[in-house]
Amino acid sequence: MKRLGRIVALVTLVVFMLSLVLVFSPSEKAFSSAGGTKKIVFWHITTDAVGKQMIQNQVNRFLKAHPDFKVEVVPLQNDSFKTKLKIAMGSNQAPDVFVTWGGGPFFEYVRAGKVKDITAYMNEKNYKSRFVDAAFGPITYNNKIWAVPVEGAGVALVWYNKEIFKKYNLKVPTTYDEFLNIVKVLKSKGITPITLANKTKWPGCFWYWNLVNKLGGASAFEKAAERTGGSFADEPFVKAGQMLQDLVKMGAFPKGFNGLDWDTGQSRMLLYSGKAAMELMGTWQIPIVKAEKKEFYEKNLDFFPFPSIKGGKGDPTSLVGMASSNYYAVTTTCKYPKEAFNMIQYLIDDQAVKERINYGQIPPVKGLKFTDPMLQKVYDVISKAKSIQLWWDQYLPPQLAETHKDIVQSLFGLTITPKAAAEKMEKAAKEYFKK
Amino acid sequence: MQRDKASKLMQNLGILLFLAPALILIGVYIIWPIIMSFDLSMYEWDGVSPRKLYLGFKNWIDLIHDSIFWHAFGNNIKFIFLSIIIEMPIAILIAVMLDRGGKKFDAFKSLFYLPMLMSSVAIGVLFKYIYDPSFGLLAGILNFLHLDFLNQDWLGDPNVAFYSVVAVICWQYIPFYMIFFIAAISNIPHELYEAARIDGATQGQYFWKIELPLLAPSIKTACILSLIGSLKYFDLIYVMTEGGPSNATELMATYMYKNAFASFKMGYGSTIASAMFIIITTAGILAYFATKKKEA
Repeated sequence: MKRLGRIVALVTLVVFMLSLVLVFSPSEKAFSSAGGTKKIVFWHITTDAVGKQMIQNQVNRFLKAHPDFKVEVVPLQNDSFKTKLKIAMGSNQAPDVFVTWGGGPFFEYVRAGKVKDITAYMNEKNYKSRFVDAAFGPITYNNKIWAVPVEGAGVALVWYNKEIFKKYNLKVPTTYDEFLNIVKVLKSKGITPITLANKTKWPGCFWYWNLVNKLGGASAFEKAAERTGGSFADEPFVKAGQMLQDLVKMGAFPKGFNGLDWDTGQSRMLLYSGKAAMELMGTWQIPIVKAEKKEFYEKNLDFFPFPSIKGGKGDPTSLVGMASSNYYAVTTTCKYPKEAFNMIQYLIDDQAVKERINYGQIPPVKGLKFTDPMLQKVYDVISKAKSIQLWWDQYLPPQLAETHKDIVQSLFGLTITPKAAAEKMEKAAKEYFKK
Repeated sequence: MQRDKASKLMQNLGILLFLAPALILIGVYIIWPIIMSFDLSMYEWDGVSPRKLYLGFKNWIDLIHDSIFWHAFGNNIKFIFLSIIIEMPIAILIAVMLDRGGKKFDAFKSLFYLPMLMSSVAIGVLFKYIYDPSFGLLAGILNFLHLDFLNQDWLGDPNVAFYSVVAVICWQYIPFYMIFFIAAISNIPHELYEAARIDGATQGQYFWKIELPLLAPSIKTACILSLIGSLKYFDLIYVMTEGGPSNATELMATYMYKNAFASFKMGYGSTIASAMFIIITTAGILAYFATKKKEA
């Protein structure tokens, strides 16, 4: 017994010493930098297996051309990425290259002097002209370009199950009245008309934003958000809230939608199982459905743009979203900005464009052709669009965006009236902008 | 005499030397951040830019008028109450039953302890699926038992969501208190049980007259632990509902997190954190003295 005690003590001591050695030895980074001496840390949010590998391959091509470099590629989950980036930026441990959606939260970093101005790089050999013009909106600030458009267009479209539409003889709607009729028919057949997972709030907001866009046109939101003669309490905002609550009361959405989580696929399960017929979601739905349920993608999935509303001011072709969904920016703390920019170029060079189309994305690059009819169709819808209204939660300053998302979730939960919701948002905007 | 003093000094030095690492760690990682939070609560700061705007006590005044914060605080209080009245009796019951079972039930001790070994995030994701009103396990069970009318919009209905989340948290923490009480019960001298049996006491009498009174100090400690834990609870709620829908499951900690990290209001977030520090410390001290008095 005594000997056993001694052995345990000895083992403990050895473990303790070993851990000390590990703690005080040079970090892992130093160990693995054998390949190159110069290092770029790169954060992105493509976490599915196919997409992750695709990005790694693109980075590998950069490494082949720059053998003196080493790239630490860090894929992160969407929501935790936001927090992690914030902490890293605040504590001066920012990555060299990071993914962004542009707009309000991104400009916070730009204003804080954390993001490198890459206008000069973009103008070099007119590299800029490679991309569609609409892609630059969310990353242009003070007439300077702060990030490279890389990942595919992301606009909200209504995805639907072709089989269900065929079975009940339903036609793709062009007006909101036709759309409401479809909802009624589906409801009477015992199918949940629209699937929705609204725990994270933005999926539900898509409905509100599209309704406001079609009711009041793109200018309604912009005037209110820019405080140039518009108000969030204006009629389109109240009306949109009303129409949204009408949908909820009709039972258009699945049970418990405010508690379902889009990230873990709880809304798509309803779509795949045929229990629900439609979902208003971004075009990133394509690679996701392709990866999760290929058969469903090939046989059942199709989409239509958000229907126009009778008497609404919005252009029928107008969309909500952005011409490129993910951008890549270089931080000011990056030691090799030129090479970091070059690495981003590898993510969207001709080979990368091919890979991305294969993956199911529509790269924000001019003059594309697609073999997949679905992608071609999305590309046509986007190129025809007279305006693309940026996601409000990216357009608005973060603080207002959070308030807005909370308000819309309450609208969905029927715990606030449309009028009170609109007024609450206007009050918050007034307080924030002090006008 | 002189030598005594010297050795005493040496001894004190020794104590200090051995305490130093802990003191330094506590200072750097606990005390200093607390001071920093209080300092930050005086500023308007987005968390990233080098500029900070001094506001004085404006954040604190805003906090006092912030209805969502008080709503969250109310939820915390409700949460304390519910977790104590749900967790304690069940934990005691299981502990007593396992104790009566003796060695035969040792396997159950480990089995019942399982929830405590899982990370809160994993539990949160798991229960999100269990609560799914269309595909979830719970809906499935209710359906099987023909109790469909009992099926609720577990996480999406503001009136139900709070209780759904509390149920999961209780499920997670009961094992902790169970082990706590098992340890306490095993400290009760066996002779008492034998004496009671000789006097003809029933199992019930033994429990009410002997075990429960002797467990009282442990129950008090457990309640304080639960109280403090409930005041600062965060992870599972954040994973399951993010404080929603419509703030129905908002706690002080989730509200603090949202302000600091989602809304870029680091200053206001720090104000909430500091307020939580004051509230929790006060509650802890009050609870400590309240229970101490009774023991005396």
